[in-house]
Amino acid sequence: MKIRGVLIEDTFAEAFTMAAARIVVTAVNDRWARAAAVQLTGFATSVIACKCEAAIERELGPEETPDARPGIAMLVFAMNADNLRKRLVERIGQAVLTCPTTSCFDGLPDLADRVPAGRALRVFGDRFQTSTVIGGERYWRVPVLEGEFLLQESFGVQKKAVGGGNFLILAEDAESALAAAEAAVAAIGGIRGVILPFPGGVARSGSKVGSRSYKSLVASTNDAYCPTLRLTTDSALTEGVNSVLELVLDGLDAESIRHAMRAGIEAACRPGVRAITAGNYGGKLGKVHFHLRQIMSGVS
Amino acid sequence: MSEFVTLSLRATFEGQLDVEGVAADRFADRSEREIAALPARLGARTARLGDFFDVRGERSTRVRVDGALAQVHGLGAGMASGELVIDGDAGRRVAAGMTGGEIVVFGSTGAEAAARVRSGLVVVAGDVGRDAARAMIAGTLVVCGRTGAEPGRASTRGSIVSLGGIAVPVTYWLACTYKPSHVRLTLKYLHRHYGLAIDERVLDGRYRRYCGDAGSPDRGEILEWAPALSSNSANDRRR
Repeated sequence: MKIRGVLIEDTFAEAFTMAAARIVVTAVNDRWARAAAVQLTGFATSVIACKCEAAIERELGPEETPDARPGIAMLVFAMNADNLRKRLVERIGQAVLTCPTTSCFDGLPDLADRVPAGRALRVFGDRFQTSTVIGGERYWRVPVLEGEFLLQESFGVQKKAVGGGNFLILAEDAESALAAAEAAVAAIGGIRGVILPFPGGVARSGSKVGSRSYKSLVASTNDAYCPTLRLTTDSALTEGVNSVLELVLDGLDAESIRHAMRAGIEAACRPGVRAITAGNYGGKLGKVHFHLRQIMSGVS
Repeated sequence: MSEFVTLSLRATFEGQLDVEGVAADRFADRSEREIAALPARLGARTARLGDFFDVRGERSTRVRVDGALAQVHGLGAGMASGELVIDGDAGRRVAAGMTGGEIVVFGSTGAEAAARVRSGLVVVAGDVGRDAARAMIAGTLVVCGRTGAEPGRASTRGSIVSLGGIAVPVTYWLACTYKPSHVRLTLKYLHRHYGLAIDERVLDGRYRRYCGDAGSPDRGEILEWAPALSSNSANDRRR
């Protein structure tokens, strides 16, 4: 299968079930909403070392937010609901509570599974905090130097979220790989329910499980896709592939990831790109498989 | 189960009608006939809701009441959950002793609105009479119009949000002037969910936060919208 001359390899991305929350931060203007969002989603590329994966999902207009102020929706993924609760307490506590003018709301209000992250954070108020119930939801008013920080008590948890959707762009040179990756990121941007947790949405350090030399390592470089090692290791690259970049996708459900992978791969099929492939572990580790040719069927 | 239970005041009556059974949670598992059979009191005389109201709908915790209700007292008293919308003026003791849910009055109320409330949200689009939120334990009363005399007396943790003028009792003290995020959230919710008209100026406004009540000094509060942040209002001069 080829799209505009780019080979779509007959393989699949192997992904995992995760727990996810959508955090909505509002502020007096875009600047302060973004200031909090950038901090909350910082250092959250891989669950292996960062304990969670997070990124901005999209900007929200005042008509979309609970308090009619500018806002930003973020998705946070962890391995299970308890881990997710801990990460939310840490990140909302350090990145939103601290940020001028912000309020913090649950972006998955219809889900029955919930984590009481706001309830845990209320104690920052040292018993001066008060709560109010609006529309059946409890919100905490935590006194802070500026005035009050408003925080929803509980956050909905999507227990069947999916982490680790991915595809790799195999290109003739680094410029072509980067241009294709940027095009893919742009195409995926704004698709609801999906984030790209790596810097700028792109990972250059795709990894394999474990290490051939260092037993303590959980992950090490995916040598099969490193162009400099094409003749040194059991390479998956053909001659002429000189740079590879990877996009990793986390989504609230598998369908969101499929939709985003299709948009991203289609955008990445451009001059200088030889092939699109995907990372997997032989299908033994992750329950969710995204077969590239199925996803791209009908695209030419 | 209906989406709403609607009570329409049908009969004219002489005197004062008490209807403390009209609370949204009490309609959750009652049929139309059972709702109509709930007790009411006209002066000293015992009656039934159905003697005065047409009842439409059943088994719902979303309740609408309409008609000339200014002499109907105790609407929403003791309500524990659900949603009660009063489409017009209401009498005394609206929401008295309420422990949860939301009551919205698209008119004005008599005295003692939201008295002894433990939890929940009470909203009055018009004015409220004297002794509003008396002995409030917690919960919120939002008054879009004028708040009558002696509001919040003996309140311990209750919150009064005044948008249309209030004579703050001398037993409350000014803490600060600020933009309370939860008021904005509450007002936006009321606009979106109940269609309550909200002026942009109150949505984004500054509020004076008064703390009391001195008779039982805890965390009762009055949040008074400060339209122009004038420093010479009667309340500011006094403090």
